[in-house]
Amino acid sequence: MTLPNPVDYAVPAFVLLVLAEMIVARLRDRAAYEPRDTLTSLSLGLGSTVAGALTGGLTYLLAVWLWQFRLFEIGYSWYWFVIAFVIDDFAYYLFHRSAHRVRWFWASHVIHHSSQHYNLSTALRQTWTGFFSLGFVFRLPLFLIGFPPAMIFFVAALNLIYQFWIHTEVITRMPRWFEAVMNTPSHHRVHHAINPRYLDSNYAGVFIIWDRMLGTFEAERDDERPIYGIVRQLGSFNLVWSAFHEWVGIARDVWAAPGLRAKIGYIAMPPGWSHDGSRDTSATLKAQWRTRQDRTGKILGEEQWKKPILSSSGLDQAGARSPAA
Amino acid sequence: MNWLQLGGSLAAILLLAWIARLLRLGESRITDPEMAKATAEAMLAGFEARDALLSGDGNAAIVSGNAGIAVLKRHGAKVAVRRLVPPLALRPAVEGVRVETGESFFGGVTLFGVIEDDVRRLEAPLTLV
Repeated sequence: MTLPNPVDYAVPAFVLLVLAEMIVARLRDRAAYEPRDTLTSLSLGLGSTVAGALTGGLTYLLAVWLWQFRLFEIGYSWYWFVIAFVIDDFAYYLFHRSAHRVRWFWASHVIHHSSQHYNLSTALRQTWTGFFSLGFVFRLPLFLIGFPPAMIFFVAALNLIYQFWIHTEVITRMPRWFEAVMNTPSHHRVHHAINPRYLDSNYAGVFIIWDRMLGTFEAERDDERPIYGIVRQLGSFNLVWSAFHEWVGIARDVWAAPGLRAKIGYIAMPPGWSHDGSRDTSATLKAQWRTRQDRTGKILGEEQWKKPILSSSGLDQAGARSPAA
Repeated sequence: MNWLQLGGSLAAILLLAWIARLLRLGESRITDPEMAKATAEAMLAGFEARDALLSGDGNAAIVSGNAGIAVLKRHGAKVAVRRLVPPLALRPAVEGVRVETGESFFGGVTLFGVIEDDVRRLEAPLTLV
């Protein structure tokens, strides 16, 4: 069965909505957009589409090959599309969580987080190295279950389209029932934030219930506005550097690491991990933040604090020595 | 993806970036020392700001704190920060001083209306051990 690619039909709407949000930014907050940031984000999006077109065939072939060994026969009835959409969204959650906790996957995903802005153009800021980083492996079990590759590719595209509109500050909150079940701009703002409280949370694609069930949910607070980007901000609009900077970082670290264990650690451990403990992961940043809050007695909403969440979301080689030192 | 889609996407990207410029989006500046200190504290986990020096053009600042010197530069509509350990690498610049970060893509930061002695005074409490 041949299914259309829904993204092809959504692109004109993406363009119009970015334009509409720019006009809102002109009226409300001119700092919500930056022309060079927008150019970089959209160019990364186009590059990602080109990379996807070049490698998508290989992923599809792999999916079809695996599908031969399927456990169940699943047809194209409408309800299978619904079930596939939900299960695919859970696979996305697992991928996304790994993308923040394993540096190899993070090197690809960091591109999406490296803008300091949070607007609809950020949604289109996507990786060029998704295939290389093997992010597709999280969806492979779906083909072994028996979902036809065309169906999974179709629902995955719908998932991607859903995630476009949540990249905005224009919408404050959705109705309570919607916030409880679905991923929303509010939940996803938290995900893009580098505030220690918000690090490593809200990995959901469409349904926020995965985060609620698996202990990675964090609500946006009115008294703590999200600061967007990565812990160590890029500070550059260079397109190529934006696309590959973390891969360069991995290569440098692996090259300089003493011994095989450390080399593997720089690839497989959370972003910010270092063999000598000289850098901060998001887990250590959270722990330090919590200690400071406890010490100063300023902790707010302690009852809402559930637990320190494990690892990741960008490294901070904090305290880097100045070139003169 | 075909060539038409590729060309159309490229045209749409350039059009949107041009419109963003036309609407004069992204304009901002580091307006005062308090803003510089608050930004450094917000961007660097655990950083407690003490003093700040601002560039006269509002595009840069340095902030001393409990954990070194925060070097701030306006990055479009936002501010990007690096934490450095003093003594800072300084170079004379036209009508000011340039702080080198040692990162080619982040680049150096020029503080207009600031002289090297001002920077050394700011970092002095951190270098006297």
